Amino acid sequence: MAHAPSDKKPVAQTIAYGIATTAIYAGVFSFADTITALFAKGALWAAGPIVTVFAVSWVHGQFAHNLWTCLGVTARLPRAEVRPTVQPVARPQVRATLNA
Amino acid sequence: MDNLLLDASKFIALTPEAITFLFIVGFIGGLVSGFIGSGGAFVLTPGMMSLGVTGTVAVASNMCHKFPKALVGAIKRFKYGQVDIKLGLIMAGSAGIGVQVGIWIQKMILANYGQAGSNLYVSLSFVAVLVIVGGYVMYDALTGSKEGDAPKVGTLAQRLQKIELAPMMTFKTAGMRISFWFTVPVGFATGMLAATIAVGGFIGVPGMIYVLGASSLVGSATELVVAFVMGLFGTINWAMQGMVDIRLVLIILAGSLLGVQLGAIGTTYVKEHMIKLVMGTIMLIVAVSRGIAVPKYLVDLNLMQVSPSTLAIMDKASFAFMCVALLVGSVIILGSMFKARRADTRAVARAAGGHA
Repeated sequence: MAHAPSDKKPVAQTIAYGIATTAIYAGVFSFADTITALFAKGALWAAGPIVTVFAVSWVHGQFAHNLWTCLGVTARLPRAEVRPTVQPVARPQVRATLNA
Repeated sequence: MDNLLLDASKFIALTPEAITFLFIVGFIGGLVSGFIGSGGAFVLTPGMMSLGVTGTVAVASNMCHKFPKALVGAIKRFKYGQVDIKLGLIMAGSAGIGVQVGIWIQKMILANYGQAGSNLYVSLSFVAVLVIVGGYVMYDALTGSKEGDAPKVGTLAQRLQKIELAPMMTFKTAGMRISFWFTVPVGFATGMLAATIAVGGFIGVPGMIYVLGASSLVGSATELVVAFVMGLFGTINWAMQGMVDIRLVLIILAGSLLGVQLGAIGTTYVKEHMIKLVMGTIMLIVAVSRGIAVPKYLVDLNLMQVSPSTLAIMDKASFAFMCVALLVGSVIILGSMFKARRADTRAVARAAGGHA
């Protein structure tokens, strides 16, 4: 199947998510030492790095996805072909017979 | 605010060189992970340590970047219909037990033989697993490619699938029906390897392909689910001990989230044996890298005599080989993607010419 380039590039989304990503990184790195020290306190502060990376994975992940789309790097096939599962063949039930 | 001052003994000062290095390794590691389901971690941990990061902070920060990367990669590949979530979650369950056993073995070796003994155990595990499994993956990739495009289910997997041992489980995306009990050792070994060498996927993906009977496309994609679950729980553990350096994590993530999506996209362009080829190549080069590191630990245990200058050279060569492994893997991925896209463009042009 040939690669079909999409007609419209998500430029606006790329810029929006790019700004959001930059804002998160700027926010964290402006107070890098304090935030790193806080997150290294352990115990319940463990939620800090975990929540941060989830937020970054969503915002920066969206940015990366849109960026590759804008650059024309998109998947060739929308979905992989699913291999059919081989199910066991049901054995015919043996009917009890009475030979009298 | 004194208690908020950064502990200099635990956290390094960032330099532009360190940031650039982490970003690039993050990108390449992400690219490889998105494509073969794992990788990158084996370079990132020693890479961070070479920048002066302590071992525990390097391992914790590496794990903290790994699970969001795996999540993004898994979502991307799920959209392409390659992820078997049920298989991934079941594997992750037994992998969790494997991790605990792996950590227990590590602690036992550390207590009995010290740090050098532990390092030797890790390196020998690396070499043994990577040579045996990587060698077989490579052999299969090279011989399988000659037989055409259609991937076949291996003989071992076919035999295991025929054994009716309750509970039998059907994995629709993977297209297989197999006993739950055969998924357990694969997941367990994945967890053990993850706890030992930090790259469980080197056994998880081949295990899913050759033991359970998944295709390399589904195996590598499903491994991202396993990596996400294991990484999340591992990170909770490390973060509660305050070992995560969020600055390092965010720099690596900046590169790896770009890379993992590119790698995932790459799987839609290449033939299935390419995943095996990349995986086998990386595993064998990493095996060489760890093999070079073994004499250092033998010297530490007074089992061998090598001059310090030679050991220093071998140490650098070992790290260089790890970087080469990632670079070679990424070149194969990008090269095969580029070739496939160029072939597509030609096909579209030919079709347009035919219609004109």
